[in-house]
Amino acid sequence: MGYGWNGKILRVNLTTQSCQVEPLNEEWARDYVGGRGLATKYLCEETDPQVDPLSPENKLIFATGPLTGTYGAANGRYMVVTKSPLTGTVACSNSGGYFPSELKYAGFDLIIFEGKAPKPMYLRIYNDKVELAGANHLWGKSTSEAEDLIRNEFHGDAKVALIGPAGENQVHYACIVNDKHRAAGRSGVGMVMGSKNLKAVAVRGTGGVGVADPAGFREAARECYRMLRTHPVTSQGLPALGTAVLVNIINQSGALPTRNSQSGTFDHAEDISGERLAQTYLKRNKSCMGCIIGCGRVTQLSDPRWSGSGEGPEYESLWALGAACGVSDLAAITQANYLCNEYGMDTITAGSTVACAMELFERGLISEAEAGMPLKFGDGDAMVRLIEQAGKGEGFGKKIALGSYRLAESYGAPEFSMSVKKLEFPAYDGRGIQGMGLEYATSNRGACHVRGYLVSPEILGVPEKLDPQAIEGKAAWAKGFQDATALVDSAGVCLFTTFGIGVPQVGKLFSAATGKTADEAALMEVGERVWNMERVYNLKAGIDPSQDTLPKRLLEEPLPDGPMKGAVAHLGELLPQYYSARGWDEKGIPTEQKLKSLGVTS
Amino acid sequence: MLPSSSTSAEAFQVRVQIFGLLRLMLNGLESLEVRCAPGETVGSLLEKFQAALAQPVTHKLLTPEGELWVGTIILVNRRNVLHLEGLQTPIQAGDVVALFPPGAGG
Repeated sequence: MGYGWNGKILRVNLTTQSCQVEPLNEEWARDYVGGRGLATKYLCEETDPQVDPLSPENKLIFATGPLTGTYGAANGRYMVVTKSPLTGTVACSNSGGYFPSELKYAGFDLIIFEGKAPKPMYLRIYNDKVELAGANHLWGKSTSEAEDLIRNEFHGDAKVALIGPAGENQVHYACIVNDKHRAAGRSGVGMVMGSKNLKAVAVRGTGGVGVADPAGFREAARECYRMLRTHPVTSQGLPALGTAVLVNIINQSGALPTRNSQSGTFDHAEDISGERLAQTYLKRNKSCMGCIIGCGRVTQLSDPRWSGSGEGPEYESLWALGAACGVSDLAAITQANYLCNEYGMDTITAGSTVACAMELFERGLISEAEAGMPLKFGDGDAMVRLIEQAGKGEGFGKKIALGSYRLAESYGAPEFSMSVKKLEFPAYDGRGIQGMGLEYATSNRGACHVRGYLVSPEILGVPEKLDPQAIEGKAAWAKGFQDATALVDSAGVCLFTTFGIGVPQVGKLFSAATGKTADEAALMEVGERVWNMERVYNLKAGIDPSQDTLPKRLLEEPLPDGPMKGAVAHLGELLPQYYSARGWDEKGIPTEQKLKSLGVTS
Repeated sequence: MLPSSSTSAEAFQVRVQIFGLLRLMLNGLESLEVRCAPGETVGSLLEKFQAALAQPVTHKLLTPEGELWVGTIILVNRRNVLHLEGLQTPIQAGDVVALFPPGAGG
């Protein structure tokens, strides 16, 4: 330890308000690297998978990777790992910005939060000085207000990760916001933080990250920068319009889920596109620590109804708060995005839940009297009101705060929740992009796009173009992308760099940083190990393979329009191939032989 | 009386939609009508598209060797030319062509 990893864990018991420093388990760090993998290993070893996610017995782990805080690619990521209150699965939510590196510079690899504080508190870290402080004065404050207060009273250069009112009010998809505009977004990790009465973590670190082979690391970093600077996606595409460039691409490809996935094309896609955002509210680009891509969008909203500034909306938010709700009002989408940032809510689940409510309303299952307003697709003002109510825990927003599955189930119609394992789809229709349907069905945290982003080959043609309707070979692609992503998430590297670099480059950085040589095969095995460990956790938590499925709409209702008209998700063909590619039995259970070969405890 | 020109009689207009970085480079230009001739392909259409513009832009779609960059998306009637005949994909009257230089997100 000492190179790449700091070799130290901070364990914070909120019940007893004790903070202890422990050595990092070197054997686990070798096998699971860090970040997502290592934190999940600690979760598996220290908690019962059947634990109530909102009980003091659940743990909340902030985890960096050995490359977090180093230069070389875009190595500024951390992950929040816990048991999800939204899905009941393992949760791992990933964020960038500057907080993750600062945690590393303070000398820690992981923070493990246990128990529950008797009153609102926040954690202050100044290198090795650690203390819990009262947070009554911060409770109820928005994420930006609370961050400003903390920096004023603790340290002006502190980096802060915190929950907003949504986490305090137990919104099921509350997120943890850091550096004001970055978020560990999905799975309700902010709800767990709120349940522990933990408002924030503020950190100031003045150290660095040691690397074992400085010359080798510089060489590996140069190679990464050269590749990122010359690849057309990372050097031009992402910097130019950010993620929002996808609105028109995915819509033209017939896979933009519209009006709660009732269509795959949105007539008003241009109005909510990255191109339109650039002409209206975009002010400048923004980068996370050490990143040369700069996909972040700083925006300023000027509209008769609202004004403000912030970051985003990103592609997923433009879709969830836009096309998913049939909303073409870019000002309303931007305002709702700002509200999600300030209240601390995942924009994907927030927008998708509003979309679900709109369909339930139009089908007569939700009345205007109950909702307090008409909930028609396309009504941007209603969408904004619902988002605000959800964040505040007021009115019909209390139901929106449940997420789409619990909302639809409460009306006896869970089939109108566009989710898998209670996590809502992101912005790609699994009928129009077959690999994404498989990815949603099999992702260990529910319907997610950043577990195996097959949009890249199926639509974008990176690293090579696959037919989005083809079945053959997709299972192996899904496994490969899932394992590679698990490795990247464990190392502390931003997934977006993988449009330009690959696992071999991550391996060179890792080996030079840690002094532990790992070739591509060994690193891919780490990814596979992490994936199987997550699968075993979910099985023990009661998430059986019958939940590796998709909503009836995707399986049975053909896309009604666009270039993918007539398509349904061919999961029935893909799933057995996927289980086989994983080396699992035909029911989707990892075999003893597979787990033994990976060293995963069954 | 002979037709004034058999070529012009058979010529047709194709709408080229412009997205992403290309649109930024062209100050917000969303589409361009390009006059095509029989036998037109995506590759020759791109040459005419470029010729109609005051500044070079197709280098964002094509490598110096004239191949599509990894990540370039060209759709003909919403179908990716990589699943048709690539730059040799024939263009016909009424077709709509969409140009996306490499981009990504998630």
